[in-house]
Amino acid sequence: MKVKEVMSKDIVSIKPDDNAREALELLMKMEISGLPVIDEKGKLVGMFTEKDILKNTLPSYIEKVGKFVYEENPKSIRRKLQHLSHMKVAQLMRKDVVTTTEDTTLCEVARIMLMEKARRIPVVDKITKLVVGIIARGDVLKALAKEAEIG
Amino acid sequence: MLKKFIILIAISLGLGFFSQKIGLNPHQAIAISIFSASVLGTLFFWDFRLGFVFIGITVLLLTRTIDLENVIKFASLDVILFLVGMMVLVGLLKEAGFFAWIVELILRIRNMTGRKFVVVISVISALLSTMTSEVVSIIFMVAAIFEICDYFEVDPVPYLIISVLATNIGSAATVLGNPIGILIASKAGLSFEDFIVKAFPLAVVCLVATILIVIVWYRKSIRELDTNIKKLGANEILIRLISVPPGKELKISLAVFGATLFFIALHHRLELLWNLEPNTILLTMPLLSSGCVMIWKWKRARDYIEKDVEWWTLLFFMLLFAQAGALKYTGATDVLAKNLAHLSGSSPPILIGIVLWVSCIGSSILDNVVLVAAFIPVIQSFQSLNLDLQPLWWALLFGGCLGGNITLVGSTANIIALGILEKEKNIRMTFFRWFWIGLTVGVVTTIIVWIALIILPFYH
Repeated sequence: MKVKEVMSKDIVSIKPDDNAREALELLMKMEISGLPVIDEKGKLVGMFTEKDILKNTLPSYIEKVGKFVYEENPKSIRRKLQHLSHMKVAQLMRKDVVTTTEDTTLCEVARIMLMEKARRIPVVDKITKLVVGIIARGDVLKALAKEAEIG
Repeated sequence: MLKKFIILIAISLGLGFFSQKIGLNPHQAIAISIFSASVLGTLFFWDFRLGFVFIGITVLLLTRTIDLENVIKFASLDVILFLVGMMVLVGLLKEAGFFAWIVELILRIRNMTGRKFVVVISVISALLSTMTSEVVSIIFMVAAIFEICDYFEVDPVPYLIISVLATNIGSAATVLGNPIGILIASKAGLSFEDFIVKAFPLAVVCLVATILIVIVWYRKSIRELDTNIKKLGANEILIRLISVPPGKELKISLAVFGATLFFIALHHRLELLWNLEPNTILLTMPLLSSGCVMIWKWKRARDYIEKDVEWWTLLFFMLLFAQAGALKYTGATDVLAKNLAHLSGSSPPILIGIVLWVSCIGSSILDNVVLVAAFIPVIQSFQSLNLDLQPLWWALLFGGCLGGNITLVGSTANIIALGILEKEKNIRMTFFRWFWIGLTVGVVTTIIVWIALIILPFYH
């Protein structure tokens, strides 16, 4: 099975200039972990994910401080979340996005997802580079499981 | 990019030709050319520095400027292994929660006032950097400062600068604080005890002077902190903010680190007692401890070596040391030493001044290891001119550490702290916001050291 048989084609996307807070609300409303960011020309410029928002909210030095436990929420958390309404999607999105194409095999997509720790991968057209769909980890697993049952 | 590259090539070739013109032999000229290319490489192309020294050392070998045996000798594996051992130990401490525990202690300060905060962060910054190295300690100090300033709603920048200033000063106090400390100790044959007796007190005086300067300099910010402390009340949430589970692991880690420090502190005595070569125990103690740690935590041992040891930096150091070695091997530094001695009329106070100020100003722009690596063979060459080397080594150490305070790129601690500031607070430090306080502290502390090295017979 190939990506084009599994991917969802009605892509909800956001623009780099969109307000970060509104984009987050959209994420929560849709109950998904990330959205592709596409500019006016239809080119994929980034992914806006829950993980990146959380990463921006918590202090950047937490990885380097070593073992500790937060017993309270630091004051900075609330401030940073409130500050989201003054930020643009472009400031928070991750810019190096892994993509795939319609003719890629599901196993290859699964491999990319594992290697790159990505949950949702945009599918782009080989020639025009425009986004034609998006494929989620759940879609891949579901399709693979279904295939195994038939076999 | 291309322009910088052309400047780099032009200057290093120019220096080579110039040295040949003034009577140096071709090999000496090549050594000078290559070394200056590496120095300029760190200045213009920081991210490419390792690539530069790899190529540089190849050129030195292919032109027969130095042979392989001497490359290996000058690469100073002793210093590198010492640093590897210390990095593993610091990685263990970090993992066990030692640094988070220090942050917790700072957050728990009772009856906080602005001045108390300044004194506490200065003293802890200096102590931490002197025990564990400046690069590591600054991260935790910045974390604590940001939490406290966030809580009391004040600008963290003054306190961040104060902490960095103290960190750089503290890094001069022992052989553990800064890579140039162990480098100088190993090349000059100085012991940990020498550092404790001679460098530590001088660093304390510099730190006290710095605290006095920053209290006056940042009086407005300190007053603002005082007002906000009164307004917002005690730091109740801060006291509970983070916790470090007091596990067995933390205790054992602290015991291992403490034992390492203990034996390092006594290394000179033990070497005399057991008839070992000077500095054998100093250099091997971190290896012994980190060896034990890697057996104790064998599952994590690979992580310590691969993640906690900064191989990028260490490989750069090794090849840089070898390139500086080529300067000595070809005799280029002997010529330089002779000229310097001539220039100063062989007067010790002037020579001390030259070494101190050149290393101070130089390390305000360059990585201090680069500068010290170049200076060491020059100072060694003074020996043949029958000059007293002791004060010159201390001048080199303090110049290299204190100069780091002058500009915002002066030392690795500065760069790390400002990196976190930009990421966390979106504040980009301007050159001059740092420069005026950095220059004041840098110049005052260097003058203190200069006077001490000249007038106290203790340092001769």
